[in-house]
Amino acid sequence: METLLHVSRLTRSFGDLTALDRVSFSVHPGEVVGLVGRTGAGKSVLAQILGGTMAPSGGTVLVGGERLRWPFSPRRIGVATVPQQTALAHGLDVTANIFLGAELGWPRLGWLRSPDRRRMDQRASELLAQLDVAVPSLRTPVDNLTSEQRQLLAIARAMVAPARLVVLDEPTALLGYAAQQRLLALIRSWQQGGTAVLFATSSLDHIFAVTDRVIVLNEGRVALDTRTDSTSREEVVAALIGQSERQQLTPIIWALESYYSAREQAERLRLQQRRLERDLAAQDSLNQQLIKQLAQQVRSLDQANLALQDAQRRLLTEREDERKYLARELHDEVIQDLLSVNFQLEELESEAAANPALADELASIRESVRALVSDVRRICGNLRPPTIDSLGLAAALQSFTRDWSARSGLAVSLEVAEGMARLPEEIELSIFRIVQESLANVRKHAQARSARVRLAPASPRAVSVTIEDDGRGLDASLDLAALGRAGHYGLLGISERVALLQGKLRITNGAAGGLLIEAEIPHPRAV
Amino acid sequence: MSDQHNPPAIRATLEPERPAPPQAGRARPKPLRALAGRQELLVLGLLLLAGIVLSLRSENFLQPTNLLNLARGVSWFAISALGVSMVILIGGIDLSVGAVMALAGLVCALALQAGTPLPLAIGAGLLSGTGVGMANGLLVGQLNLPPFIVTLGTMGLARGLALGLTGGAPVRELPASFRMLGQGDLRLAGVTLPLPLLAMVTMALLVSLLLHQTVLGRYIYTLGRDEQALRVAGVATTRIKITVYTFSGLLAACGGIIMTAWLGVAAPTAAEGYELDIIAAAVIGGTSLFGGEGSVLGVVLGTLLMLTVRNGMVMLGLPAYWQLSTIGAMILAVVLIDYLRRRRLTHG
Repeated sequence: METLLHVSRLTRSFGDLTALDRVSFSVHPGEVVGLVGRTGAGKSVLAQILGGTMAPSGGTVLVGGERLRWPFSPRRIGVATVPQQTALAHGLDVTANIFLGAELGWPRLGWLRSPDRRRMDQRASELLAQLDVAVPSLRTPVDNLTSEQRQLLAIARAMVAPARLVVLDEPTALLGYAAQQRLLALIRSWQQGGTAVLFATSSLDHIFAVTDRVIVLNEGRVALDTRTDSTSREEVVAALIGQSERQQLTPIIWALESYYSAREQAERLRLQQRRLERDLAAQDSLNQQLIKQLAQQVRSLDQANLALQDAQRRLLTEREDERKYLARELHDEVIQDLLSVNFQLEELESEAAANPALADELASIRESVRALVSDVRRICGNLRPPTIDSLGLAAALQSFTRDWSARSGLAVSLEVAEGMARLPEEIELSIFRIVQESLANVRKHAQARSARVRLAPASPRAVSVTIEDDGRGLDASLDLAALGRAGHYGLLGISERVALLQGKLRITNGAAGGLLIEAEIPHPRAV
Repeated sequence: MSDQHNPPAIRATLEPERPAPPQAGRARPKPLRALAGRQELLVLGLLLLAGIVLSLRSENFLQPTNLLNLARGVSWFAISALGVSMVILIGGIDLSVGAVMALAGLVCALALQAGTPLPLAIGAGLLSGTGVGMANGLLVGQLNLPPFIVTLGTMGLARGLALGLTGGAPVRELPASFRMLGQGDLRLAGVTLPLPLLAMVTMALLVSLLLHQTVLGRYIYTLGRDEQALRVAGVATTRIKITVYTFSGLLAACGGIIMTAWLGVAAPTAAEGYELDIIAAAVIGGTSLFGGEGSVLGVVLGTLLMLTVRNGMVMLGLPAYWQLSTIGAMILAVVLIDYLRRRRLTHG
């Protein structure tokens, strides 16, 4: 592969001090080379020489085969540098700093071009978004930013123009954990894009995270230059410390390692904590909102429900009253009239004894009238069980079941527990209607041969009503709403009545396979 | 490897909380607001005050002749001051400006005397100033020598050259076409505009354009504030320094030629001590001697204030000996007021 950067016997001395001593190495396109060394090992001097701001005392540097002459503008040869001390210019704002030395402008007259602020602002926002830096404004002077933001701006500056080689001098020192991870990701993307990176850092974790090769500088000399895959932390640290100090190696490795890992751990923890706090706060406020909304909904639903129940109760009561009135009317008026008609017919019959044909006719009419009366009586009984007011629920049920059994031809057994006291009229009537509705169901749908009705106290303040048949029972899934939509109001009506009495209802298949309806209806303690 | 600790899911939860990308121009100050509380405003106030006091105390001050004369005098002075203020902006100093003014005027006059056509003679004058400026720039920029010493040296050289070329005697009898440059007026719709004033306004506009509308202008300000940052950003600071010193020489030559045309005589001792007056005018106008701060308007206003006060003192018949102290006191007063204002700004 072609060499991008070729450093050969590079030397730089400051008086007696030799900061770089015949350093030679090369970097290929797309290669990430880690540069490690203790403070004063010459990393920054090397970075400054490659940045064009410091001339070496000896040696050569070739970039893309072209020999460098100092001072030079690194951008012109496709090198981008991020110096250790973030070299942002005081007093200039964010955009101006990112584009310092590479201002976009028009016309193409070199220094006399006019800076195009809008284009630069736009590009700057993109770069900052890419690095996830939040600055108050692009017009903020960099002096007002945090050191992390400033360091990220210096990195953004390296991204302004496409570079063949990026030189990073300790860029992570001022960055928090999250920003460090973003930088490592950025280095990887450079690597994939074919840009070479010279990455000076004191974090071995970072070295082993992204680099292809690692160069260790020790007192200005290259102490190690090897593929990252084929070396170990111990070897790197050994080169870092120098062979002569090998005996101290272990504690120093330990110290370095634990220091960096502790720092990173702390950073990570801090980040996670911040994230957690933020998430929790968000979750909390969201929950509270939801709970509030829910409570509101429940409240309004409750109100609607109460209103509905009230309306239903009123409706049922009115219906019962209506029935009672209707029954009384039928009983007191129609039946009496019919009976008086019968009486008149009887008289007429005795007078018409001479004419046997007429007498027969009259007798058959009287028979019809008697049948009519008993029919009307039955209707009255359905409308309002006449016995319920006087003799109570048990008696009413007794007469009803007998009557029902006779009409349907199905056997019904009624068991009423001993000592069932009288209940309030409303409850007795509801239970009567529940039984009535259930038995109607049995006749219509169950294909049963017999039914059983049981009435027993569940507790001193509740009565249990059970209706069971030996029919085909329920389908696997019972959906009252679906039944209601299909026009079958029987079970729905029962459940409504039970609900209105604040009772509990269970509709299941009984032991015999038929339908088992169990309702438990609370009532005031019987006196 | 440690990347695993930052899964994308977490980023997603963080994302909505991130503030929107910064909007450009939100913090850009309004032009009027930017002007308020700046030294230009202070100087403008003092200038108006001086004008009112002088017009009340001396009936001659508001005479057109006097005002036109004042305008002509201010013009060449201000042109030279523009160059020096650019040098001050990059954190340097140019002490050679007075000597360059004299030299350029003299070279031009000598060329005219030798029968050189006017444009060529002016060109020669400008060239001499530009040469001195470039020498300053090369010594300061390339060799990193301190500008105070370098320009002190070139000041002596230029002044000595002027004296040597003439043997100390002024060059008189300059052609009228040349003198027109300093004394002529342009009459436009009944308004008399002295040519030097037009030249000054043109130069001021050009320099302002250069400082505020070009990349070079940005670099000049940045060089004065933070040279290291500019170097690290890959900008050839040496070339900027050479350019600015050369430009200062050119503008000084320009001012010197107009001065010579105005005076009608080229004296080798002309403009002696003007370097300090010019620096003082720039400082009065808000140019910081530490570099990176100052404006064209400030320099023009500072020059105007200084020369108005000087003119006023002559008008009021005050002894010339006291002028120097008055100007000195004025410099101190303006700098002091500026200091107090800044302290209030920074300390709330």
